[in-house]
Amino acid sequence: MINPVMLSMLWTATLDTLTMVGLGTALATVLGLPLGILLATTAPKHILEQPLVHRALGGIVNIGRSVPFIILMVAIIPFTRLLVGSSIGTTAAVVPLTVAAIPFVARLIDGAFKEIDPGVIEAAESMGASPPVIIFKVMIPEALPALILAVTLTAVNLVGYSAMAGAIGGGGLGDLAIRYGYQRFRGDIMLQTVVILVLLVQGIQMLGDKIAQRLYHRQ
Amino acid sequence: MIEFKDVTKTFTGKNTVHALKGVSLKIPAGGIFGVIGQSGAGKSTLIRCINMLERPDSGEVWVDGILMNRLSPKELRQARKETGMIFQHFNLLSSRTVFQNIAFPLELAGVSKDKVRSRVGQLAELVGLTDKLQTYPRQLSGGQKQRVGIARALATEPKLLLCDEATSALDPETTRSVLSLLRTINENLGLTIVLITHEMAVIQQICDHVAVLEDGVLRETGRVIDVFTRPQSQATANMLQGLHGSKLPAELRSKGSANTLVRLTFIDQRAHQPIISQMIRTHDLDVNILYGRIDQMKTTPFGMLLVELDGTREQVTEAVQFLQKNQVEVEVLSP
Ligand SMILES: Nc1ncnc2c1ncn2[C@@H]1O[C@H](COP(=O)(O)OP(=O)(O)OP(=O)(O)O)[C@@H](O)[C@H]1O
Ligand SMILES: [Mg+2]
Repeated sequence: MINPVMLSMLWTATLDTLTMVGLGTALATVLGLPLGILLATTAPKHILEQPLVHRALGGIVNIGRSVPFIILMVAIIPFTRLLVGSSIGTTAAVVPLTVAAIPFVARLIDGAFKEIDPGVIEAAESMGASPPVIIFKVMIPEALPALILAVTLTAVNLVGYSAMAGAIGGGGLGDLAIRYGYQRFRGDIMLQTVVILVLLVQGIQMLGDKIAQRLYHRQ
Repeated sequence: MIEFKDVTKTFTGKNTVHALKGVSLKIPAGGIFGVIGQSGAGKSTLIRCINMLERPDSGEVWVDGILMNRLSPKELRQARKETGMIFQHFNLLSSRTVFQNIAFPLELAGVSKDKVRSRVGQLAELVGLTDKLQTYPRQLSGGQKQRVGIARALATEPKLLLCDEATSALDPETTRSVLSLLRTINENLGLTIVLITHEMAVIQQICDHVAVLEDGVLRETGRVIDVFTRPQSQATANMLQGLHGSKLPAELRSKGSANTLVRLTFIDQRAHQPIISQMIRTHDLDVNILYGRIDQMKTTPFGMLLVELDGTREQVTEAVQFLQKNQVEVEVLSP
């Protein structure tokens, strides 16, 4: 039923998807975290209150989030080429995936920080803590379970986006599903990729929940 | 120690609130200073102006000879490290254990690991939480959380401790124990405590001095014993009524007895002396006791009696003079 060639194609495609999701999530978190921190701390009454910066950042993030992924992917092709030398393939797909995920992560992280009791931040201020100390020793540890869930949600979303990236030659499970499942009428391959995607999403969510839960239980 | 000079603070927003309207106030070093007022009177705003969590619009706040409004952010952080603060809702870090919470200000001050360990040990002993050091705040009761808050506030050996409604979220029994802890700290460490509350009982139990705040205006300030026994403002009198239960029952007032109704207040040693019986013997009149109670103000005994004096006008006048000569506060209520 599943011949060795098929199996190895599925395996490669799964690895490609994992690479895109993993790299995309990691890069988007690294770049989105500072943005999320800035978004949260420049808000009114917060430790780095800056109304103009806050509004500008908020605007950029909202625009970033409202561009449909498929359009963003095409629109930034020149940028992708500049960065990785090609616009096709798994590595190339990481660029639009990351760019699309940054504003998403930033907004989720901003939300996670908003959940912190302002009294706790105020207590740190009353002890003479500087803004960097408050960010790294109070805000991030206090919001850690929520931050983990934010990253999890981003990864889950990127699984979906990566399938879309596959449609324009990004590689991975989406690519496989389109080329074999759709264009060559291989319903079995279509089904198999979908099952793997579902399992991936389940796995990521369970892992994220578990880590967050463990951190939260402790508190 | 602390001086407010004509401090005003206005919150602008949907509706403008004048939280402090030109408050001038001196807080002496070494004692426990209470600020009392109704909800919304501006108490939190006042105490938060001391460490600039709230910046006054105008006026000056001096702490230990330093003009707080003028400090640069860096200088302000330094000054805050020398001031402890505890909060109504404790504001502990939920991601840190009790040990790590108490250690937090020490970490900020760059104290070495060994010193942190021994200092946290001392503080835990002081507040009675030695067996809870490895638990998370979530697993503590309100009273225990506030003890952690107190230990944390004392970690860097501040000279000043600010308490914003430190006991308002606690039950009466726990309130008593936290207040007595504060008193012990004040006596043993000699640090100045400023606390705000809306409960007269808190002021009565531990404060030396009190300021009464109403609608952003300082109504009066002075020694607790003076303010409680001779309130100068209506705001104070109103708040005291709840505490002493000394309001004249309407029935008595309307009875229109021919006798003179007086309220007597005895402070300190006077509360122990048989002044009433001396008065009866020397002035030959009858005394009808309607109501009485004896109380304690921090450590000072304090008694209150509601009595009718039955005698001729001269006898009554002389009796009142006799009482006043013996330093009993007399307030003639009727006729
Ligand atoms: N950040 C703020 N923004 C707008 N208004 C404020 C702010 N903080 C306080 N106020 C207003 O200022 C007034 C005084 O507030 P404050 O918190 O000092 O009162 P309080 O005496 O501490 O009252 P409570 O006993 O309820 O805590 C209130 O009317 C309050 O609504
Ligand atoms: Mg208040």
